[in-house]
Amino acid sequence: MTKHVPIGLIETPFQPRLEALSTAKSWTNWAGYVSPAMLDTVEFEYFAIRNQCTLFDISPMHKYRITGPDALKVVNRLVTRDAAKLRDGRVGYVLWCDEEGMVIDDGTLFRFSETDFRLCCQEPMYTWLLDTAWGFNAEITDESQDIAALSLQGPTSFSLLQDAGLQVVAEMKPFDWREIEPDLWVSRTGFTGDLGYELWVPNGKALELWDRLWAAGGHWGLKAIGFEALNICRIEAGFIAAGFDFQPVHTAMRLGRGRSPLELGFGKMVDFTKGHFNGRRALLKQQEAGLRYHLRKIDIGGFKPADGALIYHKKKKEVGHVTSGVWSPTTKRNIALAEFKAPYGESITDDLWAEVYVNEEGQWDRRLVPVAIEEKPFFINSRARATPPRPF
Amino acid sequence: MTTPNYDAIVIGAGHNGLTAAATLARKGKSVCVIEKNATAGGMARNTTFANGIQAPEIAHLLYNLHPKVKKELGLGSVRAPLEVRDLPAVSLSEDGNHAVIRNGKAELADGRPHPETAPFGELMRRLTLFAGLLGQLSTKSPPSLEDGLASLDKLTELAGLAKLGLDLKRMGKKDMREFLRVLLSNAYDLILDDLEDGPLAGALAADAVRGAFAGPRSPGTVFSLMYRLGQGGGAQLPLGGMGAVAAAFETAARAAGAEIRTGTGVARVLTENDRAAGVVLEDGTEISARAVLSNTGPMPAMILAGAEHYDVEAVRRMRNQRCKGTAAKVNLVLNSAPKFKGLSPELTAGRLLIASSATYVERAFNPAKYGEMPENPVIEAVIPSLSEPGLAKDAQHVLSAVVSSVPYALEGGWDEAARESLAAVTIATLEKYAPGIGALVSDCQVLSPACIEARTGAPGGHWHHAEMGIDQILTVRPANGMAHYRFGPEGYYLCGAGAHPGGDVTGLAGRNSALQLLKDGVI
Repeated sequence: MTKHVPIGLIETPFQPRLEALSTAKSWTNWAGYVSPAMLDTVEFEYFAIRNQCTLFDISPMHKYRITGPDALKVVNRLVTRDAAKLRDGRVGYVLWCDEEGMVIDDGTLFRFSETDFRLCCQEPMYTWLLDTAWGFNAEITDESQDIAALSLQGPTSFSLLQDAGLQVVAEMKPFDWREIEPDLWVSRTGFTGDLGYELWVPNGKALELWDRLWAAGGHWGLKAIGFEALNICRIEAGFIAAGFDFQPVHTAMRLGRGRSPLELGFGKMVDFTKGHFNGRRALLKQQEAGLRYHLRKIDIGGFKPADGALIYHKKKKEVGHVTSGVWSPTTKRNIALAEFKAPYGESITDDLWAEVYVNEEGQWDRRLVPVAIEEKPFFINSRARATPPRPF
Repeated sequence: MTTPNYDAIVIGAGHNGLTAAATLARKGKSVCVIEKNATAGGMARNTTFANGIQAPEIAHLLYNLHPKVKKELGLGSVRAPLEVRDLPAVSLSEDGNHAVIRNGKAELADGRPHPETAPFGELMRRLTLFAGLLGQLSTKSPPSLEDGLASLDKLTELAGLAKLGLDLKRMGKKDMREFLRVLLSNAYDLILDDLEDGPLAGALAADAVRGAFAGPRSPGTVFSLMYRLGQGGGAQLPLGGMGAVAAAFETAARAAGAEIRTGTGVARVLTENDRAAGVVLEDGTEISARAVLSNTGPMPAMILAGAEHYDVEAVRRMRNQRCKGTAAKVNLVLNSAPKFKGLSPELTAGRLLIASSATYVERAFNPAKYGEMPENPVIEAVIPSLSEPGLAKDAQHVLSAVVSSVPYALEGGWDEAARESLAAVTIATLEKYAPGIGALVSDCQVLSPACIEARTGAPGGHWHHAEMGIDQILTVRPANGMAHYRFGPEGYYLCGAGAHPGGDVTGLAGRNSALQLLKDGVI
């Protein structure tokens, strides 16, 4: 069914629509699929996310189904949080670790019932899930090639769904998850920190869904987008991304490149009381011995995006680096996620400086700009959580 | 919380389980050993035929009993009497020119010096020297670098490794170079560098791979040969049969204060808050304890506690452990003493090897690779009743044979017909060296590796519970990250042959495990 394009990538079911919309012709490889880096310009797409609504094709995400009498046990063996506390019809952000407590990947866990879950993530995880389920009465199915999904994000997204005849989503709270029509599941989730939904259909119904949303979208400023614009939004929302803010440990070649959920700032997502889960003993040991790194949100002086910049203490000692950095157009701040070597970023948070190189019409200059640790996401808007969502 | 019934429970009263129990009990801990079978001893038990004839059921000789274990448990003392007799090894030749190895020296069966006495002596000197060197590592948990050099414990462990390095240098440049050259290589090449490919070479090749899923040309067999030579390479016949060894271990454990319950096995290991808390027996009885040691193979030990208590990687390593047993046991009751061509009665009572050359041993392994019955197997036979007439009556004798290269997963499975066919192969092979022996057989017991697994729980019926390959020894035995006997939940320990240093009746795995447990401060 899948069609290969000359550059060796697979097309998602939405490619015919994306192809037609793309003026930038800027494609990227996402998990072996062809995916737009941008369709038009990053600026137009970014402001559409924050002020209108946007469609992003998330079909390349890996999707796995975990079913059977022991499904909950398998999930709880896999992830660090307690999936027993996740109610049916809810979605949870999850991380999972190797035996050393290093994060293999993060993703979203969709709970149909105690015996039926779907896990969505960036990295291929089939064999790991099979190994995790060994000895349990549960079945792992790779749905990656069967399920297509669209992420509809932005302040007008609810209004659009109403016009598309899907007004029943009004009652859905953030992280709710419903089958609102036969074969159409909707979750109130996203990667922008804003109001938004993700819509899941079998591949065969993908274009029908796209056309239905598109038809309702004109009035609401609907725009199809690529990864670049979304990436700005996710940094504004303070979300981490695999391969950027942490290296999925199974893909890291070098020793010591893995990071634990504690080091990534997800201590609250690790439930040591729920029984054994993968990496539990190593994480307890790490908690006792002390963390090696701290991933933090930071505000950087000036306006020059500081992606990859080294961070110094007292302008002398190198203590970390920026893992994701952008200029945030909405908050008008220079923001980033950064990794610090402990204890910097945790108990030592002052006198931190980022090293930024600027090119002023052919002349390079090196500047040290102040760094301030941020506790909260950079972009917060109450419309993201309001239920029912306010009409635009 | 109620007080636990015991400080420690040991699952399985094999010799390692009994050693662990004795070691803990000697330190004042209350210990209970749970044995599924009606009697203790595991592979080191006797079996009784009609007419009251005693024969070693599975293992029949002591090769490697460690002096430390012997001393600490008082084996062979008043506390736990055990008498043994050194046996010469006789590697049989169809032409009657049998090679005899006595105290590490080669001779011919008729008393003449063996033409290869000198090169054999030199080879044995080197191998026992190297074996002694590696043997240093066998009495402790193997060193690990897991947590760097931060703790005192780690430094102490590394000191052991440093001493090994120092002793290695102290051997002199020539021996050190040779050690490093041969350590990971195969026994076949090593042996044939110095010896003609005859019975003498065959004897060493057979000793290198007995119990292993390997031929002498397999890599890593020099290491297993050195392991076999850990206590000099001789073999000892326990008087009273192997059952006497089990009895001595049992007596030592009881004398130290350990309790032994037989007849009901453990159904599962209880855990509370990621800590071993006791066991549930097959009859539903719960016994609580602060620590549990398992003398089972690593995988069965994991299943007892539940795979959910182990990290995915650990389960995967256990699932992929190599433990295909290849040693079968054939016990033959003979109506009279057999006559081997060209062997004196004294040598007939020795350790008889059918391994006419290293090539013969390699070829014998070929069918096992494909799950087939061997046609010309390697056999190690002993007739204990010749050394100790009291074991049998009415001029009858028992020939106890370890038949090598017998596949655990025989194509078509191990049914009665397959066992009969193995008995026939064994008798036909013996017939070449002792014509007429077949006519003397009045009763016969055949234990395939599958039967041995069923009787003892040893995974794959494997002699060592897990192959002694280079990927499954020292710091990676039973697997990476598990070499310190600690096995998943806190207070749960491995104490059997599947743990460092490995199989044979050494007692070391049980002893080391108990010592590690005490060092960890679990009880």
